[in-house]
Amino acid sequence: MFTLPIMIEQAVNGLVLGSMYALVATGLTLIWGTMKMLNFAHGEFYMLGGFATYFGLMVLGLPPWLVVPIAVFLIFLIAFILEKSIISPLMGKPGWDISTVVATLGAGIFLQNFAFKFWGGDFLNVPYMFDGVLRIWGMAFAWHRLYILALSLVVIITFWQVVKRTRFGLALRATAQDNEAAILMGIPFRRIYTITFGLSASLAALAGSALAPIFSVNPWMGMVPLIKALIVVILGGLGSFTGAILGGFILGLCESYSVLFLSSGWKDLISFSLLIIILVIKPSGLFGAKEW
Amino acid sequence: MLEVKNLQVFYGDAQALWDISIQVQPKEICTLVGANGAGKTTLLKAICGLVPVSVGSISLLGKDLNSVPANERVSLGLSMVPEGRKIFTGMTVEENLKIGAYVNKVWTRREDLLEQNYALFPRLKERRRQLGGTLSGGERQMLAIARALMSQPDLLFLDEPSLGLSPKFVEHVMEIVRSINEQGVTIMLVEQNINIALGVAQRGYVLESGRIVMQDSANALLANPHVKEAYLGM
Repeated sequence: MFTLPIMIEQAVNGLVLGSMYALVATGLTLIWGTMKMLNFAHGEFYMLGGFATYFGLMVLGLPPWLVVPIAVFLIFLIAFILEKSIISPLMGKPGWDISTVVATLGAGIFLQNFAFKFWGGDFLNVPYMFDGVLRIWGMAFAWHRLYILALSLVVIITFWQVVKRTRFGLALRATAQDNEAAILMGIPFRRIYTITFGLSASLAALAGSALAPIFSVNPWMGMVPLIKALIVVILGGLGSFTGAILGGFILGLCESYSVLFLSSGWKDLISFSLLIIILVIKPSGLFGAKEW
Repeated sequence: MLEVKNLQVFYGDAQALWDISIQVQPKEICTLVGANGAGKTTLLKAICGLVPVSVGSISLLGKDLNSVPANERVSLGLSMVPEGRKIFTGMTVEENLKIGAYVNKVWTRREDLLEQNYALFPRLKERRRQLGGTLSGGERQMLAIARALMSQPDLLFLDEPSLGLSPKFVEHVMEIVRSINEQGVTIMLVEQNINIALGVAQRGYVLESGRIVMQDSANALLANPHVKEAYLGM
């Protein structure tokens, strides 16, 4: 029953899922690397991306090519304002080190309940942005899934180029590597933090938007991707970009093959076993915490 | 050029600097010497804005710095080579230099400045594609100085540039310091190694337990009995 076409189909499914884990995990890594904090509201930006997409497509009836960028930009703005108004004032207060993380936890709960009040607790369905199926050599791939894969590859590569080549990217890396030295270079690190937080949230929102047609939209949908992204960053090595991206794909593939060989009920058991094994044999993660 | 008046700095409840007043004149090499823990680095950090000032005023080229955030002081012409170099180890030599030209006033001229600095430090040009973390101590010091020069400062702070370098290389660094000064950059050199510092500087301050205890020309300080006894072991 495990013919080659099925194996390949499942590999593509794993890569699609993995690309989304990679996006969400890259967002977490970005914040961990620069601001040295965990963001527990990260899943809620994913959720808001899903809701914004639902709202644009289903309520306003706008076309997908317009909805996706607007949704992502909107979440960027929300995160930008959140960082500036809540996280930034708490940062750098002596003895308040954990306060920023607690603030993100609070922000996450607020956003969940806000979504619940606003849209209710129903599971909302969003149609595929690209209908139909690509049939090739007896295999079938939904166009929407291929769109997700292509989109995330483009985003990951663009993002990498921004980090490696632009002035902002240089400033971001300098701030991440040595905050004090970065200040001595004249880098406004507070502004870098705010923009980084917004970008990180946009990555989560993009994933939420792309996956909205596959998993339905609801106020609690951010929980699972956040946990998966945490697994990915630990698997790949906290603070490592390569780790977040490859770790995402590895987790995605592991999950899709465990669905194939075992059953979908085993999926999470496999992911967490993977996490525990990594923590036991290589606690620094597969790729260590390399500097970007 | 730089004027610090009645500066007091605290770390929590502990006072680190007491009533510090110093002046740096344009185009000179001024030095601040003192033992480990005297507060030299704290004073530089306070001037750069990395450490909050409780009392006192700092002005650069007639502009009051107290209300200017640390990162914006770079645009006003202040640049620092920090203690321990603090180069970006995960970036290439060239990226380290480019980030030195981050501020708006020089960013567009970064390629020219890069060439200027490569001319001054040919070794860095050879290693331009290497990661900062792979450099030797001496090369790191050169990179840190070149990086600080990328913002075209009027006033350059050097915090313990001799630390961890061989005597021969220290001499080389001091030659570089002199030539930077000859190009019109005012220099404030902080050193534990008083012989070296007073050898290159025209004027100096002696800092002891957070207080300025002496200020004079370099030659006068070298001849001073207290300096001789306490710092030169004579």
